Amino acid sequence: MPLLNPPRGDRIYWKSVDELQADSSPLAERQREFAEPLPWQAGAAPAAPGLSRRDLLTLMGFSLTAANLACSRAPVEKAIPFLNKPEELTPGVANWYATTCGGCSAGCPLLVKTRDGRPIKIEGNPDSPRFGGGTCAAGQATVLSLYDEDRLRGPLWIGQPTSWDAIDAWIVPRVSAALAREGGVALLSGPVLSPTTRELIAGWADLHPSFQHVVYEPRSLSAVRRAHEQAYGAAVVPHFRFDRARVIVGIEADFLGTWLSPVEFTHHYARHRVPDAPGFVSLHVQFESGLSLTGANADRRVPITPSQRGLVALALLRALRLEARLEPLVPEPPAAAVDRRQIEAIAKELWLARGESLLVSGAPEVSTQVLVAAANDLLGNVGRTLELDRPSLQSQADDAAVERLIQSMDRGDIHVLIVHGVNPVYDHPESARFVRAVEKVALSLSLSDRLDETAACLHGVCPDHHFLEAWNDAEPLASVYSLAQPTIAPLFDTRAAQESLLTWIGGPSDEKADYRTVLRDHWRRNIHPQQTRYHELDELWDRTLQAGVLDLSGASAREVASGDFEDDLPAAAQRALEHFREGQANQTARLHELHLYESVALRDGRQANNPWLQELPDPITKLTWGNCASISPALAASQDLADGDVVALVHGRTRLELPVLVQPGQQEHTISVPVGYGRTRGKVAGRLGTNAYPMAPLRDGLRGAARIGVALEKTGRREALATTQTHHSMEGRPIVREATLAEYRLNPAAGNEERGDQATLWKEHPEADHLWGLAIDLSTCTGCSACVVACQAENNVPVVGKDEVRRGREMHWIRLDRYYAGGAENPDTVFQPMMCQHCNNAPCETVCPVLATVHSSDGLNQQIYNRCVGTRYCENNCPYKVRRFNWFNYAHNARFDYDMNSALGTMVLNPDVVVRSRGVMEKCSLCVQRIQAAKLTAKQQGRPLVDGDAQTACQQACPAQAIVFGDFKDPRSRLAHLRTDARHYHVLAELGTRPNVGYLSKIRNRPGGMR
Amino acid sequence: MRPRRALRRPIPLRAPPGERQKGSESRPSPLRPEWVDGQPTLAQITDEVARPLSGVPGAGWFACFAASGLAFLIGATCVSYQIATGIGTWGLNKSVGWAFDITNFVFWIGIGHAGTLISAILLLFRQKWRTSINRSAEAMTIFAVMCAALFPLIHMGRPWLAFWMMPFPNTRGPLWVNFRSPLVWDVFAINTYLTISLVFWYLGMIPDFAALRDRAIGKVKKLAYRLASLGWNGSHRTWHRYEMACLILAGLATPLVLSVHSIVSMDFATSVLSGWHTTIFPPYFVAGAVYSGFGMVLTLLIITRRVMNLERYITLHHLDRMAKIMLLTGSIVAFAYATEFFTAWYSGNPYERATFLNRAFGPYAWAFWTMVACNVFMPQLLWRQRVRRSVPLLFAISILVNVGMWFERFVIIVTSLHRGYLPSSWVMYKPTVIEVGTLIGSFGLFFTCFLLFIRFLPMIAMWEIRGLVGAKAAVRAEEEPAGA
Repeated sequence: MPLLNPPRGDRIYWKSVDELQADSSPLAERQREFAEPLPWQAGAAPAAPGLSRRDLLTLMGFSLTAANLACSRAPVEKAIPFLNKPEELTPGVANWYATTCGGCSAGCPLLVKTRDGRPIKIEGNPDSPRFGGGTCAAGQATVLSLYDEDRLRGPLWIGQPTSWDAIDAWIVPRVSAALAREGGVALLSGPVLSPTTRELIAGWADLHPSFQHVVYEPRSLSAVRRAHEQAYGAAVVPHFRFDRARVIVGIEADFLGTWLSPVEFTHHYARHRVPDAPGFVSLHVQFESGLSLTGANADRRVPITPSQRGLVALALLRALRLEARLEPLVPEPPAAAVDRRQIEAIAKELWLARGESLLVSGAPEVSTQVLVAAANDLLGNVGRTLELDRPSLQSQADDAAVERLIQSMDRGDIHVLIVHGVNPVYDHPESARFVRAVEKVALSLSLSDRLDETAACLHGVCPDHHFLEAWNDAEPLASVYSLAQPTIAPLFDTRAAQESLLTWIGGPSDEKADYRTVLRDHWRRNIHPQQTRYHELDELWDRTLQAGVLDLSGASAREVASGDFEDDLPAAAQRALEHFREGQANQTARLHELHLYESVALRDGRQANNPWLQELPDPITKLTWGNCASISPALAASQDLADGDVVALVHGRTRLELPVLVQPGQQEHTISVPVGYGRTRGKVAGRLGTNAYPMAPLRDGLRGAARIGVALEKTGRREALATTQTHHSMEGRPIVREATLAEYRLNPAAGNEERGDQATLWKEHPEADHLWGLAIDLSTCTGCSACVVACQAENNVPVVGKDEVRRGREMHWIRLDRYYAGGAENPDTVFQPMMCQHCNNAPCETVCPVLATVHSSDGLNQQIYNRCVGTRYCENNCPYKVRRFNWFNYAHNARFDYDMNSALGTMVLNPDVVVRSRGVMEKCSLCVQRIQAAKLTAKQQGRPLVDGDAQTACQQACPAQAIVFGDFKDPRSRLAHLRTDARHYHVLAELGTRPNVGYLSKIRNRPGGMR
Repeated sequence: MRPRRALRRPIPLRAPPGERQKGSESRPSPLRPEWVDGQPTLAQITDEVARPLSGVPGAGWFACFAASGLAFLIGATCVSYQIATGIGTWGLNKSVGWAFDITNFVFWIGIGHAGTLISAILLLFRQKWRTSINRSAEAMTIFAVMCAALFPLIHMGRPWLAFWMMPFPNTRGPLWVNFRSPLVWDVFAINTYLTISLVFWYLGMIPDFAALRDRAIGKVKKLAYRLASLGWNGSHRTWHRYEMACLILAGLATPLVLSVHSIVSMDFATSVLSGWHTTIFPPYFVAGAVYSGFGMVLTLLIITRRVMNLERYITLHHLDRMAKIMLLTGSIVAFAYATEFFTAWYSGNPYERATFLNRAFGPYAWAFWTMVACNVFMPQLLWRQRVRRSVPLLFAISILVNVGMWFERFVIIVTSLHRGYLPSSWVMYKPTVIEVGTLIGSFGLFFTCFLLFIRFLPMIAMWEIRGLVGAKAAVRAEEEPAGA
């Protein structure tokens, strides 16, 4: 046996004399098995170029194994059922959990549908009397943000992944040290809806004088709070009750689209928009610069410049005081600024509806808000249509405090900065100043769930859960509570923000921070005693967790009523006048006023990385994947601009380059630009559109949303706009039918005289128990587009991206057609949700060569993806153009790197609906999977289906309840009633398609004296 | 010189039907011109027609072949890319589901119509002038139908499932095609047309294959022509049955001239779309098809008679006759345009009116007016004999006819789709490079096939020409002694 190791000692063994004497090389060397040193032996020579024998053997062995492996069968992946089935989890059966939306600070109660442990769909909680069962588009899309690729997988320290223990070990002593000193720790957050968290923060502030909490919002209602502080001594945002308002006057407040609590407001507003509404039909007048969703729904809309807002409030207040035979107190506004006759007519309507009227303004000037509050007070609305004693807690920002914080950071007074849920580096107007100030903070931490613009500037990022993974509670309106519970275990190594704060700053107990315990403890101490219904905390907790909402608003702490108003009105009026004169002075042929607004899809931009929202067409501009500068047709004509011309908006050193969009209804001297775009970080959001926040002024410690004296410069470039609708007139076709309320009262079929339903020689189509259909009330539909995203989530509708939208290939199964009527300066706007009309005599069905689209026995026009060969004949022959073709594979295709290209993103897909492959046609199925589920449930329970068992996703999401789904064969169904309504009609009925989807004509409340 | 067996055949005494009984009509007259110039002998005819098949083709042929082959390759690349990636590589969108694809389809189907018209209808009407052009027109038909059939195939989202368009017993349950769908009618119409055209074309070539077989020198060539000639022996009985078969096939093919394009037009006519939903479409489309078919025949023959030195057989008289047919069908087409507009106005249907106003004055007005200029105004030039007999002018006109007819289909399809019933879905359509490449590729395929055809097959029906000339020679032989 050869010697593997050189023998110890100096004894050398030899086997023969030959060996001993054979050659001159030392015997020890010859006795080694391998001529060259083994690679692992010390002193091995560097490998010679080329293959050594051992390398060759290694490679051969590897190749052989690899070849064998490659030739063997792929491993069989078996779907194995649970051995121990988790309780409450049945594969294929959805579980629903009640929680609270974290999409914005409105805090709508939600029901979340989970399948196999994954939340896949968000719905409003119908048990909430305040918010209703609807949602908004942004809320619907939050479920996709849960599965966002950009979410952090764990904590980061200076951009490097780290562990919670390590980062806590670094942070805790520094925070403790800072707390011990003066002015040490600042928490910068958005509005805190959670009463428990508010209590924690208040506790810290009490305990540590050096701890301060500053609330920041990119679009704050600081002015509203300050005006009410001045007038009533309470810095609150009132709770507006649109359900009680007979006359609504809005001054630049998009309360149906983006402002404060749009779902709740739409829910309430829509009740009194139908002509046969209980009690009254509301009258809505809107003063605004750009055409907003709210303005589009108003009965009368008046375009004004941003600097005119105060004057409108002033003029209204003066007219109201005159109407009330009081001393005017405020001067008359210049005749050129407001149309006095119009204002007087509105004031008359308001005065007639004293106590049942509502002035609401989102203008960020205290003077305007004071005048508005004074008018509401004069009208006796306080305590009726706006509640100050039960205020809204949805907006708590204090712009002045933010400014003070930045200054103290800049002075080096802040040692620890914790940023939670806000992104000032992106959305602060002077973000460079903020960044400079942050650099002087010794320890800056972000609780953001992603590396956003702000988090990237800070030292550590300690990612918070997504709200669908977290425990929490919310009090969006005083004494209206809801709970939030996790619907899935945290996907990543994240930690609740409150737990992070408790770990660093210290909690009520020394135990390891557990926010759920804190939450329950808060409810035990504070909320349980407020009610008498549930004796035990457990019962209260379980019931609330199950129902999601707890309304204790009956018990009010203090009453504020009309007449308590105290403020210096002449001073406010003076400021409003000054503001207007300043605006006038800066208005020339070259200089314009810039109006910043939030778009319905992106709001303030926090969900900009959500592809569903990026692809959601703006209800007004119909633009996707970017923002634009809306200019009036008159300005476009005078400057020779057309859609897509890129212009620069210049003010001082700030310069925004944007494509223009000629927007009917845009105020002539005002340019409107949506914020929320132009993010520099985010896989989806990055480099889409232009960030308009730098244009927002900071003035008197208040953050504005309009800029005067902005120059418009042409750049000569063009950019194709990704709009989903390029023609805006109905061309005189009776597609959306409308009448005024007066006409309706004379003849309920006004505007709908020609129903167009023709006699048919054909046998009626289906002969089954059901005949499904929809009725959509155009009087209540506000165009909010929640249905579009809801449908996308429910039916796995793919996102196609900017370029494909430009080519006219968006895939939405339901769209909101928006038409203008009347002059381009201030047209009437109508919205019409349009989806497959499920025609009984469907033109698509006759032309399909392979019978891939057929009629079901219960009236559905069905698309059979498996059978479709993709001739697109059905698309051509569809008069409603609702069919959508899969031009490419949209799932698992790097070209469409949105939600369906990753394992994480595809977790949001609804397993009940197939993901379509390329080359097939698709369209609205009337949520056939939901119908089937409802049928099965009814069958299991041994009862017939009743109206409301099955709801389509669009119907469910609609905050205005404009969409009604049902069974025409059920004579008691709402649908069957609506079909006999005088306002009911079918679009393009004259073609004889006999659709199962009908519309109810739009009725506008337009009193004669209002013009 | 090698003896030629072909000359021993009894053709000079037996002219094809139509020629024999009407010898008196063959006298030269301005109304009944000589259809073959220069009174060639029968041997000369065979020689001249068969010459290109034996020698190496000239530089002109090679240049044309290289160009068309390149075009074909471009098309093949585009189609491969499109099938691998998706229909999204085309410019179609949510409202315009068809554009270049079906435009090209209808265009090529239309081109195909001249062949059948010439070979079947003119045969039944005993039009002698068809003899020297019918073979190449038939070949053109077949290649055009091939090009046309390509487009319904590749325009599908999932072309690998195209066989689902065929009704065949299958294991997918009682799953059948939709017999109400005009696309299924198309499948039958095109397949029938292609089959009949192929059989007719081949049958027409059998006597010529026999002649080539007899002339062929190489062994392979001889074998190939022998197989192709199906043992033709030139006996009286063979000729008799052959002529009967030709007549029967002509009778069968005649209705197809009308049916195929009528059915293609029903793709549009049976829809609900304004601009498509028109009862005038079947006759209008047939007239348009013949118009464009003759345009293409003219284009091809003007090139071929020059390149292959066949001016003697394809004379100015032929060109003149074809121009007259174009004048006739072009006028029918113009009348159809006018009727469409009248109907749109007279019906009072606002959607129909809007569609036609949009056609004439909308964003695609340039396409519409191109179509009108090419199909309505330009054929009016053909009223003048000088134009009909000017080869360069006719060549230009023949090309413009096809430009116009391509735009006609484009206008019908795209302008009706891009602005439909609901203005919210009004969009613009813009073709992509891939679509243009596919159109170029279809021309490449067509011309490649045609160039191969004139290289390897007799592009003029030798036996028919010989019959024509032979009959005249017999008449002359009879008349000469009498005059002497």
